[in-house]
Amino acid sequence: MTATTTAGPQRAPHRRSALPARLASYGTLLGLLVLIMLFTVLDEKGIFLTAGNFTNILEQVAVLAMVASVQTVVMVVGDFDLSVGALASLVGVLVAQLLTAGVPVVPAIAAGLAAGLLAGAINGFLVAYLGLSAFIATLAAMTSFTGLALLLSNGATIFGLPAGFVALGQGRLGPVPMPVIIALALAVMVWFVLSRTVLGRQWYAVGGNAEASRLSGVNTRAVRFSAFLVSGLGSALAGIILTARLASAHPTAGDPLMLSSIAAVFLGVTLSRVGQPTIGGTAVGLGIVGVLGNGLNLLQVNSYVQQVLTGLIIVLAVSLSQIVRRRR
Amino acid sequence: MKATAVLATRNLSKDYGPIRVVAEVSLDFHAGSIHALLGENGAGKSTLIKMIAGVLQPSDGTVEVDGVPVRFRSVKEGQAAGIVALPQELMLVPTLGAAENIFLGMRRPGLPGLLGRRRLTADAQEQLARLGQTFNVNTPVAELSAVQQTMVALARALAREARVLVLDEPTAALTDTETELLFSVLRGLRDRGTAIIYVSHRLEEVFALADTATVLRNGQHVWTKPMGQTRHDEVVASMIGRAPEQEFPPRATSDGEPVLRVTELSGWTLRGVSVQARSGRVLGVAGLAGAGRTELLRLIAGVERPQGGTVELDGIDITRSSVARSMAAGVVLVPEERRRQGLVMNASIATNIGLGSLKALSSGGVMQPHRERSLARRQAEELQIRATSVLQDVAELSGGNQQKVVLGKYLARTPRVLLLDEPTRGIDVGTKSEIYHLIRRLTADGVAVVVVSSEISELLGLADEVAVLHEGRLAGIVDAASTDQQTILHLCYGRLDA
Repeated sequence: MTATTTAGPQRAPHRRSALPARLASYGTLLGLLVLIMLFTVLDEKGIFLTAGNFTNILEQVAVLAMVASVQTVVMVVGDFDLSVGALASLVGVLVAQLLTAGVPVVPAIAAGLAAGLLAGAINGFLVAYLGLSAFIATLAAMTSFTGLALLLSNGATIFGLPAGFVALGQGRLGPVPMPVIIALALAVMVWFVLSRTVLGRQWYAVGGNAEASRLSGVNTRAVRFSAFLVSGLGSALAGIILTARLASAHPTAGDPLMLSSIAAVFLGVTLSRVGQPTIGGTAVGLGIVGVLGNGLNLLQVNSYVQQVLTGLIIVLAVSLSQIVRRRR
Repeated sequence: MKATAVLATRNLSKDYGPIRVVAEVSLDFHAGSIHALLGENGAGKSTLIKMIAGVLQPSDGTVEVDGVPVRFRSVKEGQAAGIVALPQELMLVPTLGAAENIFLGMRRPGLPGLLGRRRLTADAQEQLARLGQTFNVNTPVAELSAVQQTMVALARALAREARVLVLDEPTAALTDTETELLFSVLRGLRDRGTAIIYVSHRLEEVFALADTATVLRNGQHVWTKPMGQTRHDEVVASMIGRAPEQEFPPRATSDGEPVLRVTELSGWTLRGVSVQARSGRVLGVAGLAGAGRTELLRLIAGVERPQGGTVELDGIDITRSSVARSMAAGVVLVPEERRRQGLVMNASIATNIGLGSLKALSSGGVMQPHRERSLARRQAEELQIRATSVLQDVAELSGGNQQKVVLGKYLARTPRVLLLDEPTRGIDVGTKSEIYHLIRRLTADGVAVVVVSSEISELLGLADEVAVLHEGRLAGIVDAASTDQQTILHLCYGRLDA
């Protein structure tokens, strides 16, 4: 590296060690720790800080984690996918219908995943090739997917799923619930692609500056398209596991996943110095969402109140890190 | 000029942590005078004018208005005292018309909360008329030309009764004619008593326009002189702190081989242009804004699809290649706007340099970080990029060093044909010269270089031949060594008889 040859003042150097900067990077992580401590103190029955409850939390966020992992990818590219929850519901209903119609487990799941890919391809085509804004395209997709799920199920919950399928959602490998293992595997895969591969580099580059990427020879359309494909596939997987875990499919069962996944990614972005989504950050965001839900449940806080609190805490966390960042 | 300065700085200083970016600068700015601030990137010009305008707070020293010390806690307070700075990016609301932009944020007569459009339009027209402008004030400013947008920003400053106008690189996006128009407006304002502080890298402009010049180097005041008492070389030497090396390196000595052959190429504005680029030579491309200069490069590089004609590299047709294929074939375009088109601002030097060579830096789709870092180090060394390490974010670099990162990204592909669009825009004199020498080092290795520039003097000094475009057509190709600015300007305006 060339030594600095111009003597005298350049720009002020970035002081990574300064305390406020540290706080900006780790504020959200601190927030998670504070939440954990808070619930440990408030929980008089001593259930909160146990291995069993920890497994519970993981199990509760596993499906959300799958959606959040792929939402991270779409947000890295600079878009977001509003259709993830509706797609998860639709695929859940689809797979449940196939199973109750006697289709064996493996082909039913394969059909569900294929439907997810197709849905992702539609979103990707609309956004990357037709140039629609992701907001419009995926909002429209969300509406249609919900409609399809209602049509396919007649608006009713579908029961009577085979035990082999339900095991995917309710079984355990040793002490670890199956959904947790699947979510972890997906997250590790997404992490690897994001941080170690050419495709990941291109996702980040397109999110950072699409025009500069295009002029560097990156096929920006294909890159954005691929992000939506991943999102479709991941959402479909989440829908399948959710259905297995509930041993039933409901046409709106997956809907809350959309907002929660975006919230988790946004919480994670606050950990990044340059404001990019990362899988590590999303994991912390999921931690906050999961611990909050679990802790408030243990404290028997009314679920309506829980919703209000969750929203408030997300705003608090994000604005705190913004304020600290601005003061640098 | 013994009169009290309308604006003055007294030992004005700014510290960023332990670093003193502006050190005890004392300057006087007088009414009815255009005062140029000169210096390389990082010399402290921007910081100085930000303190004057109230954007930044001084660490030490004072700003005086009419001899009275003042302390602006915000831009608004500065504007209230009559000091208005036009930032480099004009900060207009693109979807609103000139009228709304001029009066945005100001209290208007009439009922509060209501716009009073007729009066607004009339007032805006009046403001623009003071600048000799008569365009439609209700056209969204995004649809105005660059110089008209500058006029809107000026009118906005005047509507706030600016006594001191601070202009930072106002001509960066303007063509030569537009620049002339702006200058006549600025001279008019000066003659009516406005003090103008003018920051620019283009020395010729400064010599044509300013009455007084101040040179800053490393945050310190070097000297202030009436413009008539200094010369180009003296200014450059003071800015860089040593005698300048020959600004332009020697031209090509051989005729080279035709590497790139463009035949009857057409696009949106380009109409049947045929040129060729020869190995070891620099082809300059001149023309007014909208003449199709940038489009020519983009069509060649596969960024835009041609509507007709062919592009051949060594006799092989590459007309409809994608950017990636053109790059692989050896045709590389370094785009015009480094922030918008050249860099991923929130990424590191290494990531940016690597972005053009992802295939070479990976195995089976998996990135090989050591390859990426060593490529980046090599380019940083070769181009003398000044940074703490290749892992530093490009956002933290100066403009000149950012431009070098963009160059490093594209040169890593070892191009055979290098297309450069405004390679020295907004870059300080020292770095400009480095880039000129770099271009000649490349041609010495047999690279064919095509340079688009709005500065005709740059093309005359740098290029071997200059192709001039006029309204999408080739107006002529002239030998750079034996022509002059006048001839090229005439061709730019389509006067073939010149």
